[in-house]
Amino acid sequence: MIRLDNLRYRYRPEEPPALDGVSLDIARGSIHGLLGPNGAGKTTLISVLIGLLTPKEGRITIDGESLNEWRAAQPNAIALVPQDYAFYPILTVAENLAFFAGAQGIPRQERQRQCDRALAFSRLEAVVNRRAGELSGGLRRRLNLAIGLTGEPDVLLLDEPTVGVDSASRRFLLETIQQFAATGKTVLYTSHYMEEVEAVCSDVTIIDHGKVLLTGPTAEVKGDRTLEQVFMEFTGHSLRD
Amino acid sequence: MKMFIQLAALWKKEWLAFARDRHGLAALFIMPAIFILIMSLALADSLSGQREPSLAYAVLDLDGTPVSHALDSLLSSVDLLSKSAPPTSEEGARLRVRDGELAFAVVIPQGFARSIGTNQTPELRFLTDPTIPGMVRNGFRQYVEAAATRVWLTHVLERLGQSMMLPELRQVTERIGRPEIAIETVSNHHNGAAVLPSSAQQNVPAWLIFSMFFVVIPISAVFIGERQHGTLQRLRAQRVSFGLVLVGKFAPFVLINQIQAVVMVAIGRWFVPLCGGEALALPGNVAALTALSMLSLAVSVAAVGWALFIASLAHSNEQATVLGGISNILMGAIGGIMVPRFMMPAEMQAWTHLSPMDWALKGFHQVMLRQGNIADVLPAICALVCFGLVALAVAAFLNRRAIST
Repeated sequence: MIRLDNLRYRYRPEEPPALDGVSLDIARGSIHGLLGPNGAGKTTLISVLIGLLTPKEGRITIDGESLNEWRAAQPNAIALVPQDYAFYPILTVAENLAFFAGAQGIPRQERQRQCDRALAFSRLEAVVNRRAGELSGGLRRRLNLAIGLTGEPDVLLLDEPTVGVDSASRRFLLETIQQFAATGKTVLYTSHYMEEVEAVCSDVTIIDHGKVLLTGPTAEVKGDRTLEQVFMEFTGHSLRD
Repeated sequence: MKMFIQLAALWKKEWLAFARDRHGLAALFIMPAIFILIMSLALADSLSGQREPSLAYAVLDLDGTPVSHALDSLLSSVDLLSKSAPPTSEEGARLRVRDGELAFAVVIPQGFARSIGTNQTPELRFLTDPTIPGMVRNGFRQYVEAAATRVWLTHVLERLGQSMMLPELRQVTERIGRPEIAIETVSNHHNGAAVLPSSAQQNVPAWLIFSMFFVVIPISAVFIGERQHGTLQRLRAQRVSFGLVLVGKFAPFVLINQIQAVVMVAIGRWFVPLCGGEALALPGNVAALTALSMLSLAVSVAAVGWALFIASLAHSNEQATVLGGISNILMGAIGGIMVPRFMMPAEMQAWTHLSPMDWALKGFHQVMLRQGNIADVLPAICALVCFGLVALAVAAFLNRRAIST
């Protein structure tokens, strides 16, 4: 269980809090959807979870251990797949994977095995020697995801992983994420696409103005309504506003 | 162990990215090679003084007397100038000067010899190209005046000897001869080596230093992309510290700078002579070569630190190219890269101390011209390393927000 307890974070003292007492449980082995309008605090929450930001108050525990202790014991066990294409367009697919695996300190032989696995998982074998800058939008998204899979993380944080791709690539990415979670891994998933969250997430949390408005299993949260209707009811506006 | 694996990955990434960056490769290797070749050949006359002089002059003798022949003969060889065929007329001489064919023309008028010893002052006409520097013009004029005075004195003494029945008076000027001027080059080192660089000694280190600072192009190309596309954030999420990222950039580019140094020295030593230029002379002793290597490393520290500072300051690659290019050109202009320091006026020379390129160039000249050793260039090395580390610290400060949010 990943437990977030009363997290508070403020970028500047004069600004309203980006996280205002966020408490949340994320079950291990689940795909947990994080929904919220722009500026709701989703990216801040992900940044706190990955260790880019330190909360001013509150605590994060994973399986009962504090986040820092847990990460010290297994530094590569949590990975981020950012919304941006955070890789090197001038390097090939294989070179990008090898670089990010090496940057995690993974020894050479193990690195090769993990890169091959990430390539196979993301079905990028056919373009392994192509420069990342020459790939289509869908293939770039797959590479972005594949890089997140090197290091074989237990917890994967996905920030809008399907933005800007066609429907076929989106379907492929969602299947890949479901396959990943099926191996007992945990996924925290943010998206603007309500139907995606509804389709792949076992649990969902709606967040706005740094506060959790609603959290629980997707089926229970939406009941006989659509997730979009629930979202409108709690936030007062559409997710795409 | 983990840190070495991370560093190896960072170094390999920088190396691959640089090897595929055509603009960076051109800025670091092709640009300085071309500059070294062109400038070494262009400044060969000005800096070496050993090549055939390129300024020409001619003497037009309209008098046709033994006196005018004697003057013409005295003007037959002038240092740094070459004597051209005499013009056919004074108008012809004017035309050749106007066309730039001749820098000077000396016209010995008809009646020149006859006027000596009379009330008339013998008048030589001195035609000059207005583009010739004043120093050169004055030097040549004084040479002509001295020659004319000598001829005039000989002729006056000859006439005086005839009237006083003392023919040996004519030989007085030949007997007393001319005063010899002993020229001694004064250096602060024992061998008294020349302190002015040759064309190759000026241009090879100068354009090498200049191009080393152009690491700003490949460094900013990758670094700005990393910042803009969230790659730095991703690395930080993977627990790669920003310090390690900086070390990961520093070491490969210091190595690339050293490869530049070897290539440019090789061009100066072997390629420039093939094109008709002067070969770069390097000191042969180990102490001097060690000093040059240490200087080269110090220039790298300054250049890479500066490049990271510019890359941190700029928001786009275009901005980095403009900022880096302009700052490098300014540092080169005041640092004695484009115009050798010793050719600048004294007020301008005082400004050269502001440029790290000047510190580096003076260090190279200290070793190449005066056989200096590590102790001699230690102040330059320290100044360059401090400059690089301060620039690096400011770069880290500027990136503080980008990597923490």
